[in-house]
Amino acid sequence: MQTVMERSAASPVFGNGERANRLKSTRFGGKLVNDYWENLFAAKEQGKKVVWYNGTYIPPFFHSHDVAWVHGEAWSAMLSAKHREVTAQERGEQKGYDRELCSYARTHIGQMLIELDKVKAGTSDLHPDDPRIETMLKLPPPDMIINAYPYCSSGQQWDDITYRVFGKKVPMFTIQIPLLWGGRQDAGYMQGEEWLERSRYVADQLVAMTRFMEEHTGRKYDFDRLSETMGFVKKAAELRLEAMDLCTATPSPASFFDWIVSIAPVNFLPGDQNIVTYFEGVLAEVKERIANGEGAVKDEKYRLFFDGMMNWNKVGWLADKFAAVNACVVAGRYTHMSFWQEPQLIDLKDPVLGMAQNYLICPNNHGAPIMIGEIEKICDKFGIHGMVMHAARTCRGMTNSQFLIANSAKKHGRQSLFFEGDVADESFYKDELLNVRLEAMIEALDAQKRAA
Amino acid sequence: MDGILQQFARVAADPLTYARDWKARTGRRVIGLFPMHFPGELAHAAGALPVILQQDDVPITVGQSQVFSFYCGYNRSIIDQALRGEFAVLDAILFGDHCVQLLGTADVIRAEVPGLPILFNQLCSVLDADWAMTQTQGTFTQLWRELEALTGAPLPPDAVRDSIRAFNRNRALIRQLYDLRRAGKVVLTGRQMQMVVKSSMVMDKAEHTTLLEQLLATIDQSGVRGNPVRVFLSGHLCHAPRPEVLDLVEDCGGLVVDDDLYHGFRFIHADVAETGDPVEALSHWYIDRNHKVPCPTRAIKGMDWEDYLLKAVDRSGAQGLVVLMAKFCEPHMYFYPEIKEAFDRHGIPHLLIETEHEEMPLEALKTRVETFIEIARRKAAA
Ligand code: SF4
Ligand code: SF4
Repeated sequence: MQTVMERSAASPVFGNGERANRLKSTRFGGKLVNDYWENLFAAKEQGKKVVWYNGTYIPPFFHSHDVAWVHGEAWSAMLSAKHREVTAQERGEQKGYDRELCSYARTHIGQMLIELDKVKAGTSDLHPDDPRIETMLKLPPPDMIINAYPYCSSGQQWDDITYRVFGKKVPMFTIQIPLLWGGRQDAGYMQGEEWLERSRYVADQLVAMTRFMEEHTGRKYDFDRLSETMGFVKKAAELRLEAMDLCTATPSPASFFDWIVSIAPVNFLPGDQNIVTYFEGVLAEVKERIANGEGAVKDEKYRLFFDGMMNWNKVGWLADKFAAVNACVVAGRYTHMSFWQEPQLIDLKDPVLGMAQNYLICPNNHGAPIMIGEIEKICDKFGIHGMVMHAARTCRGMTNSQFLIANSAKKHGRQSLFFEGDVADESFYKDELLNVRLEAMIEALDAQKRAA
Repeated sequence: MDGILQQFARVAADPLTYARDWKARTGRRVIGLFPMHFPGELAHAAGALPVILQQDDVPITVGQSQVFSFYCGYNRSIIDQALRGEFAVLDAILFGDHCVQLLGTADVIRAEVPGLPILFNQLCSVLDADWAMTQTQGTFTQLWRELEALTGAPLPPDAVRDSIRAFNRNRALIRQLYDLRRAGKVVLTGRQMQMVVKSSMVMDKAEHTTLLEQLLATIDQSGVRGNPVRVFLSGHLCHAPRPEVLDLVEDCGGLVVDDDLYHGFRFIHADVAETGDPVEALSHWYIDRNHKVPCPTRAIKGMDWEDYLLKAVDRSGAQGLVVLMAKFCEPHMYFYPEIKEAFDRHGIPHLLIETEHEEMPLEALKTRVETFIEIARRKAAA
């Protein structure tokens, strides 16, 4: 998950040349993310154990137990956003990982191999051009590996490989977050027998995970600390949702891309006052923009929904591209249906069950009918005209059901376009194709408006 | 012998026609199963014909409207078949895997074939977890109940035990063929063994078992002629590799002596306990499977696919390994580098063939297989 949206000079030559009017308050996130990485690199010196994990937002469990954590996806996304993914992916390819494999995993595993190569060779190969980034690449090796990947088997298998890359010596714990298929009579969003069973199942595994941590740190798990941490997380989540909800306004004060860069605080940053402060800042700016009639996009004419995994190489680029045709991507599946989106489920006195439930409702993890029902609700709420479907080549976790989503959108009178790209492998991205399809969609939206 | 193999080949080539005929003949239910870990015994005990849904040879056309080209051939083919109406013969689908691509496919079927019940009960994906056994028992108990609801009749434990026995018998007979082949007593080509196993995924168990008994009674046991290079086939999860690809091994002077293919030894390697609580027995069968023939979709800490393969290749006396990998199959892509490194380390010749649903360039492939066989032959002679 990305952290800082790079304001690079590069911007698409497209449309009217306008660029996205990003929220300023999100810059605080950049500092938080840098602090997080820096603390992480100092973890071993501070005598902290390090856990590498992939999947859902379980860091409150780590934070409350004073272990440092490395989120594999965040790392891959960070490398991609800083255009550092290519060498990592090449190293993976050299070992034999096919480029059709999840590029998050390939980047992560590739960089792991590079680091291990260095350890073996006894070299530290400093990059003179950017010492900060080089520091970022030096991850402390894991003392524990934890995997908690909802829905996607690739996510689980990725850590089966992490475990093997480290010579099968690092203790690993895998949590299953099973799909909510929603096939029983009583099934619905957060309801029914399956929902209750699965909630309990995941909660039990989370408790087992705390025992696993106790075993490998030699310290008792402090559930009061977890409640305290979750107090901050819950508050941050509520503020985030409040700010997001205000984007029903026209023009929308913030865009999907602002929410994308706001993922880190609700995904892997430490659950403390900082994340609350972050979203207080965001909420205040959103309110201020509404008061001033200021939009995330100049002269907003079209409101879109982004479906699919983010293209981390292209966050800023895409934000500008849509702005250049006066289209505001107001909401998205990745941002609006995940990351503590149901904070009311968390009982601070006993938060584990509610945490499990929030993990279970990750946007991919519902069978299509329920997931699509939720997408339609969001689209109605935010007055969405069209869907942007990012067919992320190596992320089947989020390309599944995309045709069904597009079909449903059509039934609801919404246009949709598909574009090809990937989570972390730029070579799959086809800019020209997106340009052509976006222009065609804009024309169709204009025609629709004229006809109305 | 040839007649029996031809019968197997006919069913393997067109499983749904077999299922339709069976249904017309018996008036009973046909239940589709997704690969690779869901037991057919319960559906069988409920009086249905459990059929493992197979990829077909038809190019993907209508299916393109519901699945991307970067999905494995199995998923694309299944979706295409669903949209072509091929699954009209099915009364239900049982499903419990966690392969992300299959999960997407199940949802497309739910949307496109709305009348077809999908009994979805996801299996525990962490086989070495402390809770794997209880979780799996819960899953099979739930499935048991759902099958009773589907058929409207109770499913007595004795009926399930009978089905377990029938399945075990069938598997044991196929394993006998494997033993004879490994020992060099019988020659069954890669294609022929695929027909044996694939037909067993489809046919009525009793019928298939009778044919297997006849086959074993009549099969030529005069052994291998000449000096072909002994080859072990590995991989190809969920769906059968095209027989033409398998033929290349024999065409180039090799002989398939063993495999761990899903349409091969992986499918029949383990039996279910015939006594005691059937749910417990089926759960053990599921939980323990990776200790016997490891599967990359269910990796466990104490067992590696490459270690198993090194032993299996040695045990079969194979002189080289051909890895068949279905394009876009993620679990296989993850674990292949481990296999490659292990075989490199041990100096055992190996060849990776990536297969596609669409036409494959067989001529170019033949050159690669020839080179591989030559290398393996020289290595064995050295
Ligand atoms: S394929 Fe997508 S959902 Fe699955 S592990 Fe990779 S990035 Fe995550
Ligand atoms: S062949 Fe591989 S990708 Fe395809 S369904 Fe099977 S496990 Fe999944």
